Amino acid sequence: MPFLEISNLHASIEEGDKKEILKGISLQINKGEVHAIMGPNGSGKSTLASILAGRDGYEVTSGTVTFEGADLLEMEPEVRAAEGVFLAFQYPVEIPGVTNTYFLRAALNSIRKHHNQPEMSMSEFTKLVKEKAQLMELDSSLLGRSVNEGFSGGEKKRNEIFQMAVLQPKLAILDETDSGLDIDALKIVANGVNALRSQDRAVIVVTHYQRLLNYIVPDFVHVLMEGKIVKSGGKELALELEEKGYGFLENALVEA
Amino acid sequence: MGQYEQYLPLLKAVSPSWFDQIREAGVKRYQQVGLPTRHDEEFRFITLSQLGEIEFQPAYGATIHRGELASVSQFDDQFAYTIAFINGQFAPEISSVENLPQGLHLVPFDQASSEESEIIQTYLGKVADLSGKLGSNNDQRFVDLNNAHLGEGAFLYIEDGVEVEHPIHLLWVSKADHGPLAFYPRNLIVLGNKSRAQVLESYLGFSGATLGNSVSEIVIGGEAELVHVKLQDENDDAFHISNVSVRQSESSSYTSYNVNFGAHLARNEFNVFLEGESCHTRLDGVSVGLSGQTIANHTRIDHALPNCNSFEVYKTVLGDDAKGVFNGKIFVYQDAQKTDAKQTNQTLLLSKRASIDTKPQLEIFADDVKCTHGATVGQIAEESLFYLRSRGIPYEKAKAILVYAFAAEVLERIPNEELRQKLESKLFAKLMPSEEA
Ligand SMILES: Nc1ncnc2c1ncn2[C@@H]1O[C@H](COP(=O)(O)OP(=O)(O)OP(=O)(O)O)[C@@H](O)[C@H]1O
Ligand SMILES: [Mg+2]
Repeated sequence: MPFLEISNLHASIEEGDKKEILKGISLQINKGEVHAIMGPNGSGKSTLASILAGRDGYEVTSGTVTFEGADLLEMEPEVRAAEGVFLAFQYPVEIPGVTNTYFLRAALNSIRKHHNQPEMSMSEFTKLVKEKAQLMELDSSLLGRSVNEGFSGGEKKRNEIFQMAVLQPKLAILDETDSGLDIDALKIVANGVNALRSQDRAVIVVTHYQRLLNYIVPDFVHVLMEGKIVKSGGKELALELEEKGYGFLENALVEA
Repeated sequence: MGQYEQYLPLLKAVSPSWFDQIREAGVKRYQQVGLPTRHDEEFRFITLSQLGEIEFQPAYGATIHRGELASVSQFDDQFAYTIAFINGQFAPEISSVENLPQGLHLVPFDQASSEESEIIQTYLGKVADLSGKLGSNNDQRFVDLNNAHLGEGAFLYIEDGVEVEHPIHLLWVSKADHGPLAFYPRNLIVLGNKSRAQVLESYLGFSGATLGNSVSEIVIGGEAELVHVKLQDENDDAFHISNVSVRQSESSSYTSYNVNFGAHLARNEFNVFLEGESCHTRLDGVSVGLSGQTIANHTRIDHALPNCNSFEVYKTVLGDDAKGVFNGKIFVYQDAQKTDAKQTNQTLLLSKRASIDTKPQLEIFADDVKCTHGATVGQIAEESLFYLRSRGIPYEKAKAILVYAFAAEVLERIPNEELRQKLESKLFAKLMPSEEA
């Protein structure tokens, strides 16, 4: 049984014109693997990521998603998170009035509660946060500030990976975490992700740039165009895309 | 006012004879108008007809032990100099008014020394009075009703130049364990020139239907500074109708936090009259109303003299079928050039059945002034809610965290840390009854 199995997933926007965005996506991900998803703007990458994390506003018209054998689509977002799904947002949300540490502690303890574990003590939590902040080279002043409020673009992205490092999810979905990062930050983020890589976890990396994949080396690369996966391959596929653009896949799109 | 005649001798017994005038004037004026209806402009948005239906008795005695008090009040003896009243009656057993520092006077009216009485006589009944002031509809009927019942009350006086760091608590507890009761809290706060104090005025209820109709008169001397937190956390069956009237002298500063968590219906009025130049006034409010609650806040600032500024941030959270009202009046008198007044009113509606009526009311008769107001009514941002949930925080808690953050922004400014934290945990408990902060 695959760790995550997406079968023939069709989804449309719930409101308005009910446009179909995902048009039959199938994807199998096993523990220990890193999958990269690439594709032109508007092809449905974030939509897929959002549906996996449980965001409202989409209607799954057909298909299934199972996560460790359970129906992922049936779960509330917080249950998915507690079960180990983590989405690093393409556009992290600012939450005025709620400090980063308070937020993380609430998240961590909610997840523990879901697993009938006791709350983490304050000192243990502080230690954990300190360690992960160091790993992500996150300025400790950001911890006491409101979640993402007034953070620079790069700080927001790093904060996402920092949260991931604290929460230690089983399935991490990174939606363009590399965009807006300078070269040093890119390496730090990649380090953070690589530190999480293990035989018990899997990572989905959504990106436009092959560069990130030099640091987070994927086992598979998939190309998403107009709501379908039109081609899958190894890490060489990313290099090929970089060289040729998406044009050479137009035929594949027609066939898919 | 059914049993007023029987009650009057009791009032007379606890007060000096000169209170008679205030009472008589109050009775006369109140009887001309009686209970308001929705046709009365100042009460347009709320329903008070129940006040006529419930048979409130004049306040009767009740006992509350210190231990018991802790279940409604988080504020102990260590926290503040405390003058406490139970059902309107002075309660020395839960007060701490001994060993006050030099220059701080905190006494019930009927225990005032002759010097103290002189000050009381100078101000009592004269601050909570809108006659002769701008405004076409200066409806003060509940001040009149309180005046009619003038008897016991708290007198706080800080002498010139005296700065009191430790908070001062005017505590009004109610316990209607023998049927509905009405009580009429009265406070007089006088700050001498260049003095400073932090006052908590709280209304905490145990149980039972009560009508608490309070009036607080506050006089702030030149260059004096008062931080005033008014906390209303009455029980679900309580009606709380309050008036806070403030007079500020030159270069004084008044900051108030009007905090409402409880009551079936709460209506608060804050009227500030700036009668000196270069005053600072800050009126902030946090109100949280849930099932069955109505919370109405009416503020009024009279900029009568030049170079004063006033800032106002009122935040209201309404869930279930709760109702809110915000009416913010700013009068800028002809002489009050260089007035800088800013009023903000923000409401978060947690349910489709919750509603708020807001009415900013700026009347400006000077030309060189800066006056702005803004009101927003919104819901919790779905994006934020999803962000919290995507990290594992359950829906209800995520909602509570966001609402808390919205409301706590006002409490955050309370300078006394202990007070701030206690109010923050009260807020959290109200939003998230089953969890700790
Ligand atoms: N809530 C929505 N309402 C309307 N259209 C939407 C909504 N969400 C997504 N779409 C549309 O669905 C399509 C796919 O969007 P999505 O964000 O998934 O693309 P993407 O592949 O992540 O693009 P990018 O590379 O630019 O991030 C786009 O055409 C977008 O406009
Ligand atoms: Mg996207």
